[in-house]
Amino acid sequence: MIIKVKDLVKRYGDLLALDHLSFSIKEGEIFGLLGPNGSGKTTAINCILSLLEYDKGEIEIFGMPMSPDAYKIKRDIGIVMQNVAVYDELTVYGNIDYFCGLYITDKALRKKLVEEAIEFVGLDDFRKFYPKKLSGGLLRRLNIACGIAHKPKLLILDEPTVAVDPQSRNKILEGIQKLNEQGVTVIYTSHYMEEVEQICTRIMILDKGRTIATGTKDELKAMITLGEKITIESFGISEQQIAGIKKLPGIVSVEYKENRLVIKSDKGRNNLETVLDFIKHEKIQFGKIFSELPTLNDVFLEITGKELRD
Amino acid sequence: MFVHIFSYRLKCLLRDKVTIFWTMLFPLLLATFFQLAFSNLTTGEKFKPVTIIVVDNAAWQKNNTFKRILEDVSTGKDRLFNFTVASEEEANRLLLDNKISGYIVADEPIRLVINKSGINQSIIKSFIDSYMQNYSTFERIVNEDPSKHKQLVDTAAIRQTFIHETDFPGGEPNYIVNYFYTLIAMTCFYGGFMGMREINDIQANISPAAARVNVAPIHKLKAFLSSSAASLLVQYSEMLILFAYLKFILNVGFGNRIGLIFLTTFIGSIAGLSFGAFISALFKKSEGAKTGILILSTMVCSFLAGMMQLSIKYIISQKAPLLSWINPLNLLTDAFYCLYYYDTLSRYMLNMTILLAFILLFCSVTYFIIRRRKYASL
Repeated sequence: MIIKVKDLVKRYGDLLALDHLSFSIKEGEIFGLLGPNGSGKTTAINCILSLLEYDKGEIEIFGMPMSPDAYKIKRDIGIVMQNVAVYDELTVYGNIDYFCGLYITDKALRKKLVEEAIEFVGLDDFRKFYPKKLSGGLLRRLNIACGIAHKPKLLILDEPTVAVDPQSRNKILEGIQKLNEQGVTVIYTSHYMEEVEQICTRIMILDKGRTIATGTKDELKAMITLGEKITIESFGISEQQIAGIKKLPGIVSVEYKENRLVIKSDKGRNNLETVLDFIKHEKIQFGKIFSELPTLNDVFLEITGKELRD
Repeated sequence: MFVHIFSYRLKCLLRDKVTIFWTMLFPLLLATFFQLAFSNLTTGEKFKPVTIIVVDNAAWQKNNTFKRILEDVSTGKDRLFNFTVASEEEANRLLLDNKISGYIVADEPIRLVINKSGINQSIIKSFIDSYMQNYSTFERIVNEDPSKHKQLVDTAAIRQTFIHETDFPGGEPNYIVNYFYTLIAMTCFYGGFMGMREINDIQANISPAAARVNVAPIHKLKAFLSSSAASLLVQYSEMLILFAYLKFILNVGFGNRIGLIFLTTFIGSIAGLSFGAFISALFKKSEGAKTGILILSTMVCSFLAGMMQLSIKYIISQKAPLLSWINPLNLLTDAFYCLYYYDTLSRYMLNMTILLAFILLFCSVTYFIIRRRKYASL
């Protein structure tokens, strides 16, 4: 195990930020911590890194107990903070070199690693730029370069794509997958379920400091009853016809709002054909039709009764 | 690792234009402003001999006593008068042309002719009054008892001095230098901006960059000391630039104890840095609020040390002496003052001892706060 967290409790006064949180991460995983804002993701990361005091629990990294002076462990950890953590007075190169130098004392090796990090995040053309001259996306890439330059075995990324343009976001996500392919174990926190679905090999969903569910994305989706969501753009449909759809086999719920008919069905059945047959038979006028498989938001919604981005 | 952190911190500080402005350019501008404001003040205080004329008449030719005394006070470097003998018409003409402050007619009694009132006219009048008073006293005593004439002459010749004269280490006395000394002290404490930044960059609950340093495999205190050394170097270099500007460009007197002046500036720089670190560690406020506290406390201490009004320093030292001993800026100002004015070092040593105690206090409190390795919240 790369990380083992057992019974972690963290209180901010009366607020229980982490409620007996337990999980473990295996080597080579991209472990996603998914949850809405305030669910405890960053608090959990800060406790793991020994930045935050916690009330109860045990944390082990690389099989050793984590503490502020566990330098042997810290040497193999890379961190990419939610807020960009660089110095405005240093260039792109200077910032990466400075933070890499806190881990690597050999100058020649450090130079090589810094060059690799610059190339990895695609900042070669900006190496002499100061952070204030960089766009939001480039700044995030610099933030990542500062966290990975020393080639950590464990990389912790806390919402690294907040306020980032789609191009930079894709570049960041591709980069994380590439690092993982090179053997780096990754913890990735986000409230963007699409990102977590895209790159994480295992996901833990958090809400109010508690674990809601843990598993691969397929395992998580298998936990809920929803199988398929069919959306039909429809103009003029009667209450009687809606009641008729509800009676079709496998249909769980039907909603008609603003000319959109949303039909949710059980999993394991493809009800699109049945629904289309009914629409044709009833001669209901329709526009676009599309079918979606359940998302992590549906998992969160079914378990907690609220949307991930509420 | 020390060199790595030190060199990068040096780069950061030298590129931090705002801090460089407040810690170096602002004091230089203020010093220039002080010089412009005070140069007239010091010029005005220099005494210039009063130019007078004595009317050449028979009474003057006969009055040898008055002639001798007037010649006596009109010779030497610190003479009272520049006098010439001329006719009354010439004296009148020069008086109307404002070429002389007045003229004396050595009649019985001696007359002073002026065409306006002023300090110079008062000086001439005081001299004549004093002469006439003494002359009349001597005359009366001799008339009453002629035997006392010799004794009177002997007594008048004795000049008993009750003051022991020593050399000033710094040359001519000049209280204006105190304004510049408070400026140096203020600049030392403006180094607190750098001390404040040192804390901000090491406390994970204050800045994200500090959190990154906290998760790196390096002892927090080592990182703090390495970067603080860079801050001290920048601060001390700025102080030396200010010192050179004051001494060689503005010609502010510092005395001859150059070694002790450098040492005092160095200790002052440490005091300023540790004060900034102390403020930053002690107050759990935003960076802006902490900067406000630092500026406010420095300005209040500068004011009490006499930066805006010299008399404040003396009022405080007389009415509330404790306040002058607990004001680190005043201690530093007074230390420079002592090096300039006093030939002994006892008062200087007392100032520096208390200042070192303050540094110890600032550093200890800062250490006990930042030694914390984990935070309750970030």
